[in-house]
Amino acid sequence: MVKVSELKKGQTIKGEFNNITRDLIKRYSKLGGFAKLASNPIHDDDKTAKEAGHKGVIAHGLFSFGFITKLLDDFIEREKYGKIIKVGVEMRYPVRCGDKLITEAIINKIEEKRVFFDIKQKTITKIRIEREGKIIKRFEADMRNYISKKDYENGHIKTKDTEKGILYYRERVNSPGYAVIELFG
Amino acid sequence: MDKETIKRNAEFLQEILPGMKIPGKVKFHCKYKHMVEFAKCFDLTDPKYIGSDGDKIIACPAFANAFSAKLYVNMATIQFEQNGKIRGFLLDFKKLLHAANEYDWEDCVKIRAGDKLTMEGEIGDIWVNEKMRLFGEIFQRVKNQNGELVCKVKTIATIAPGGY
Repeated sequence: MVKVSELKKGQTIKGEFNNITRDLIKRYSKLGGFAKLASNPIHDDDKTAKEAGHKGVIAHGLFSFGFITKLLDDFIEREKYGKIIKVGVEMRYPVRCGDKLITEAIINKIEEKRVFFDIKQKTITKIRIEREGKIIKRFEADMRNYISKKDYENGHIKTKDTEKGILYYRERVNSPGYAVIELFG
Repeated sequence: MDKETIKRNAEFLQEILPGMKIPGKVKFHCKYKHMVEFAKCFDLTDPKYIGSDGDKIIACPAFANAFSAKLYVNMATIQFEQNGKIRGFLLDFKKLLHAANEYDWEDCVKIRAGDKLTMEGEIGDIWVNEKMRLFGEIFQRVKNQNGELVCKVKTIATIAPGGY
């Protein structure tokens, strides 16, 4: 049960999605409002996406938005304890196949029954695995040059020890935003 | 497209577009199958979104993406005269991207399968950044067949140089 009296500033709710595939990006693109005109080919054709300067297919800008409303909707248990009033999001970087999407909603203010959140949606993009200085696995981001010099300069590139070796990955906030919900009790 | 043309086009659009009503009304039929398939993209499993009884399901909140994008695409078909020549607003669809979106459901009713929505929109501010990427605000009010508001949408779209 979610009650406004039990919530406090700084509290965070979090959701993860780790199944972004070419098929899902394409499926969403066709369902997301473009179907009758023609789905933008940058969402389903690598060659066209490359010509448009994207290096490979990217998800429709609003695709990841669905995981923000899902997180909030799960929190209020599909309107059992409240309703979503407003959600706003900025699409800063594209979401691509293989990205892991992490959505966080952090309470920044509570006014009567309204709860205001800061939204932070991050992508985790695997780049490569190295063992004893040698690359033993390259992921799509490495092969298609999705990683830029700026990613290194901005400190987005991180490492993690895994069973296979050192995993290099990019972690960055792709969609910051805000949300307001209203609780019933 | 050369830099000078891009600059001229940006100035022209900044002058002509703000406050312009998007011509006509865009209609959107909320079909049961579409609503269910859409919800499944986000792994939603609640019967209120994907249940087998088409009369009872409601649209998941993210479904607003499905209809708001329709007017957004429609806007791209606007044509007007520039220096005596008819030109489209959007010259290259591939250069169009979403930059930001806001959905406001205050005082709105739920969308049910079978609803027929009507969208009316207006263009807000238009600006360019230092890389000559064009940005534009689009405000929409979306109503159902009973004239009830189902969503208010603010979109910021962006077009790369050469696409406008």
